[in-house]
Amino acid sequence: MSAQEIVFENVSKFYGDVLGVNRIELRIPPGLTSIVGPNGAGKSTLMNLMCGLIHPDRGEIRVLGISPRNPERLMRITGYATQFDAAPRWATGFDFVVSSLLLFGYSSSLAERLAWAALEQVGLTDAAHRKVNAYSKGMRQRVRLAQALAHDPQVLVLDEPLNGLDPVVRAETIALFRQLAASGRHVVVSSHVLQEVDVISDRVVLMANGMIVAEGGIRGVREEIREHPSQFLIRCPQPARLAALLFERAPVAEARVIEEEGALLVLTRDRNVFTRTLTALAASGLGIESIVPADESVHALYEYLVGGSA
Amino acid sequence: MTARFRLRQALVIARLEMKRVFLARRSLWIYALALLPGVLFLVHALQLRYELSKAREGGTVAPAAVEAIEEGMSEEQVLALAGKPGEDRARTVHRTRRREEAGREIFETREARTRRMVYFDGARRAFLWFEDGRLRSKEVRPVLNFAEDREVYAGVFQYFYLRLAIFFGCLGIFLNLFRGELMDKTLHFWLLAPARREVLLAGKFLAGWTAASAVFTGGAMLAFAAMLWPHMGAGAEAYWQGPGAVHAARYALAALMGCAGYGSLFLAASLWIRNPIVPAAVLLLWEASSGFLPELLQKLSVLYYLQSMCPVPAPMERDVPTLLRLILAPAAPLSPWLALPGLFAFSALVLWAAAAGARRIEINYSTD
Repeated sequence: MSAQEIVFENVSKFYGDVLGVNRIELRIPPGLTSIVGPNGAGKSTLMNLMCGLIHPDRGEIRVLGISPRNPERLMRITGYATQFDAAPRWATGFDFVVSSLLLFGYSSSLAERLAWAALEQVGLTDAAHRKVNAYSKGMRQRVRLAQALAHDPQVLVLDEPLNGLDPVVRAETIALFRQLAASGRHVVVSSHVLQEVDVISDRVVLMANGMIVAEGGIRGVREEIREHPSQFLIRCPQPARLAALLFERAPVAEARVIEEEGALLVLTRDRNVFTRTLTALAASGLGIESIVPADESVHALYEYLVGGSA
Repeated sequence: MTARFRLRQALVIARLEMKRVFLARRSLWIYALALLPGVLFLVHALQLRYELSKAREGGTVAPAAVEAIEEGMSEEQVLALAGKPGEDRARTVHRTRRREEAGREIFETREARTRRMVYFDGARRAFLWFEDGRLRSKEVRPVLNFAEDREVYAGVFQYFYLRLAIFFGCLGIFLNLFRGELMDKTLHFWLLAPARREVLLAGKFLAGWTAASAVFTGGAMLAFAAMLWPHMGAGAEAYWQGPGAVHAARYALAALMGCAGYGSLFLAASLWIRNPIVPAAVLLLWEASSGFLPELLQKLSVLYYLQSMCPVPAPMERDVPTLLRLILAPAAPLSPWLALPGLFAFSALVLWAAAAGARRIEINYSTD
C-alpha cells in the first residue's frame, strides 16, 4: 500500500443490519478531495473509518501507510474536524484547542502558541476566551477546524466544514483549504451541498447508499459515466436544422429546441464524437454562437448517478 | 513513543478529565452521599458539646458523691451528700391504683409529688427520680462515650460508607467517564488524540480515582474528625497519640482502595456492557453475599479486601434479623498487608479487561 495515499481496500461497515459503507475501494492522493453525497450516503462513515472512530467489519484502511487502529501514530499526522457539534462544557475555544495540543506532548507555552495561530487561521481570536457552548454554529464549526489544524497535520479530514459559515468566512475557509492542499497535504472534505464542491475541488468521490458511484476529477468522473448522456446547450439561429444534422451525424440521444432562447439542448452518449461533429458543423457556416456544457456541475452528475435525489 | 511519554499523556488526560468529573452537575448527589456521615457525626458532636456545656453550667459534683447515692434515700439525704443539683424539677402527678373488693374493681386516685434531679460529675450525668421524697430510681449515663462513638463510626464506615456510599459513588463517577461522554457526544474528542486507548483508559481511571478518593476519603476523614471532636480533652488525645492515627490512616486507605476496586469494575462494565446498571445490581448482590460465599469466591469481591483494611470490626446488634445478619456478615479476615496488594492486583486485572473494551470502542452516538 502506498505511504503517500489514503487507501481503502474492500472496506465494509455495517451498524447492525444497517449499511454504513459497502465494498469501498478508494485511493486518495494528496490535494483537495471532496466526498459528496446526500445525507445517509456514507460520507461520515467513510471519514470516521479513516480516523479510527469506527472500525471496518471487512477490508483494510491505511492512511499514508498507518492503520487507523493505531491512533497514537495516525492522529499525529491527521486532523479531523467531525460533524459532532458537542464540546466539553468547561472549555473556552482557546482551552479546547490547547487541551488537544497538550495530548501531543507539547509544552503548555508551545500548545498555547499553536492554538492561537490556529484560531487566527480560522478568524476566531476575538471569541477565543468565550465558552464553546456559547458559540454560534458557525463558530463551533471554526473552532473544530482550528483544533484539527493546530498541530499542522499532513492529512486533514473535514466533515461538512462549510456548514453554518457566513459567505465571507466560507470564502476564506475555502481559500485556506486550497492553500493547504497546494502545500502537498491531503485535504478531504465532505459535503452534501453539491454546488459547494464545484467551487472547492476538482477531485470528487461521489457516494450513494454506502457505495462509491464515481470518483476522480469532475470532468474525469463525467467521462467515466458513459451510460449517462452529456448535455450541451448550443445557441444558434437555426436550432431545428442543427438538431436534424446532429441526429444524422452524431450519437445524439435526445435534442430539444428552445425556441424562445434560440437554443438547442442536446444529450449525447459520446462526448468526443459529438464535439468533433459539432466543430465540423460550426465550421460549415451554421452560425453557432456558443456551446455550453449544461451538466458540468457536480449537481448534474449527481442527479444522473443517484436519480435526482440531491 | 516511550513509556514516559505515555505516562505524561495519561496525566494530561487525567488533569483535563478531572475538571469534568469534579464540576459535573450530575456528580452533586455523590458529594451529598460522601458528606452525609460527616454531617451526621458533626451534628452529633455539636449536640454532645451542647449537652456538655449545659451540664457544666449547673456545676459538677465529685464522682464519689454520685456513687454514694442509693435508691431509697430521702431528698434531704441526697442534697446533703451531693449539694444543689444541676437540674431540679418537681411536679405533682396523679397516680391511679386498681384494686378488687368483693368482686368489684375499685380505682383509687391520689396525688404524688415527683422530683427529678440531675448531677454532673465532669463526665457522667446522674438522673435521680424521687417520688414522695424518696429516691425511686437512679441512672448514670456518660455524656461522652468514646468507645461507643468509635464503634458507631466503624459500623457507619463499613455498613454505609464501603457498602453503599463508595459503591454508588463510584458507579456514578466511573460510569460517566466513558458512557457519560458518549451521552454528551464528546468522547470522539479523546479518541482523536494521538494516544493509545490504554493510555486514555489509564488517564480517565486516574481522574475518576482521584476525584472519588478526594470525595470519599475526605468524607471519611471529615466524619472521623467530627467523631473525635467532642472527645478532645476527654481521652481522644491519648487515642490519637496511640492507635488513633493508624486507625484514621487505615480508614482512609480502605476508602481509597474501595474507590480503586469499585472504580475499576464500573469502568470495565461501562466499556463492555451497553446498560451497566444491570451488572451493577448483580455486583451489589455479589458484594452483599461475600460474607457467606466460599473463601475462594470471597477473594473475587472488593469488600473482602476492604473489610480487612478496617481497624475496628463493625458492631453487630443481637436483634438484627437473620437475613440482614447474613448480608452484613464480614468475610473471612485477611491480613491488611495482603489485602492491599490483593486489591491492587484485583483492580489491575479488571483494568486489563477494561483496556480490551477500550480498544473496541466506537463512536456511534446515534445508537448509544
